[in-house]
Amino acid sequence: MRRFYLPALLLLLLGLAQGQTGTTYITPELQRLIQAGGQNYASVLLRQDPAQALCSTHRNRLPAEVLGPFIEEQRKNIKYPADGKLMGDWKQGEAIFNTLARGNCFSCHVGSPLNIGGNVGPSLEKYGQRGTSEAVQRYTYEVIYNTWAYFPCTVMYRFGVGGLLKPEEIAHVVAYLLDPNSDFNTKPALKR
Amino acid sequence: MGRFWRLAGVILLALVGLLALAQEEVDPFEEAQKQKQQLLELSGGILPTDLIAAQGEELFKAKRGPKNASLEACDFGRGPGRLEGVVGRLPRYFFDTRKVEDLDSRIRSCMINLQGLRPDQIRRNEVVAIAFYIASLSNGQPMTVRPLMPQEKRLYELGEKLFYLRAGPRDMGCASCHVTYVGRRAGVLPYSDILGDKRVASHWPAFRYSNDQAWTMADRIRACYSNLSMPAPDFYSEPIIALTLFMNAKAYGGKMDLPGFIR
Repeated sequence: MRRFYLPALLLLLLGLAQGQTGTTYITPELQRLIQAGGQNYASVLLRQDPAQALCSTHRNRLPAEVLGPFIEEQRKNIKYPADGKLMGDWKQGEAIFNTLARGNCFSCHVGSPLNIGGNVGPSLEKYGQRGTSEAVQRYTYEVIYNTWAYFPCTVMYRFGVGGLLKPEEIAHVVAYLLDPNSDFNTKPALKR
Repeated sequence: MGRFWRLAGVILLALVGLLALAQEEVDPFEEAQKQKQQLLELSGGILPTDLIAAQGEELFKAKRGPKNASLEACDFGRGPGRLEGVVGRLPRYFFDTRKVEDLDSRIRSCMINLQGLRPDQIRRNEVVAIAFYIASLSNGQPMTVRPLMPQEKRLYELGEKLFYLRAGPRDMGCASCHVTYVGRRAGVLPYSDILGDKRVASHWPAFRYSNDQAWTMADRIRACYSNLSMPAPDFYSEPIIALTLFMNAKAYGGKMDLPGFIR
């Protein structure tokens, strides 16, 4: 019994120091393995956030008792554009949606008239049919900013949380999807 | 009664038609097989993989390095010089290096220990060519990786954990695509079913005909990370060996198709 006491205490203290008790996935042994992969590799993998740790632990299927607090936590970290406008300029959104190194949205979703869409995510063809009500804008914005607030542990990037897109840029993508004059809604989607 | 059978016939035909439509999504394995046949006919029976393997054989048998030795005494798990079927037994623990090693890292170890080369003198393209040569001698053999040694068991478990680990600004991890979205596409190829389809791990090293690349499993793993703008683990490093051990053990019993020929 005593043999396990000290390591356990150390682990607990380590967890407390990182402010993520109960949500660490990376054990000291796994940490050593990752460090053996080189500095660059380790610098990204060892910076796992508590939500990523939960998704890793539960292999992307969160149990019921974790789900509520998880979603609440994810909702809290959504930020909005300074001017409060959730729909920006659809032309700028078009560039983000259709660029591999930026939004890369087309790789997984059908709907773009510029690129053949993938089928990892649901089709967004003529997404603008939903109208531009405040509720639709907000939902669309929030799913892009932090998809885990709606679809916990899904593969889609949390664009706002990960710092991949600024709030204003997300608003541009929302406009590309919702603006009735956007090419996304007026031109036919390219399909395989 | 006659009308019933006619109706049944029509339904059957419709079903067959639907099946044909569904098959428009070509199976990547069949597609690669077709390409291989075409290339064989065009070249008069020689594949790019044959050339790489021949180059590897030359490198394997040549006396090189400060010790002026060939790699023929290298033990890949079946004893020095026995190469048949070894790819299906790797990664495994080796007593001489006291490490679990995969095909790439074992070749490297032998270049260091038998030939006396320094790590910085080992060229990646040579290791790949030698890997293709050894792979060509494992074609048709079964995958028989089974972690039994404590070192292997430990690395297998870490490999499994690493496979499910999500990190980085894109929240990425192997399982997010290769478990959850098997068969779906984000780009040209559907995500392979690494844990369910034994053929997937059993065709490395492989030649990728669409961009003329000779890859080992290490190159495949590193490209997976890079495609998602994550830094890749170093060549010959433990994370690569751990992931390979996990995936190869999952493919236990699969028939090796080597060197692989894929899109």
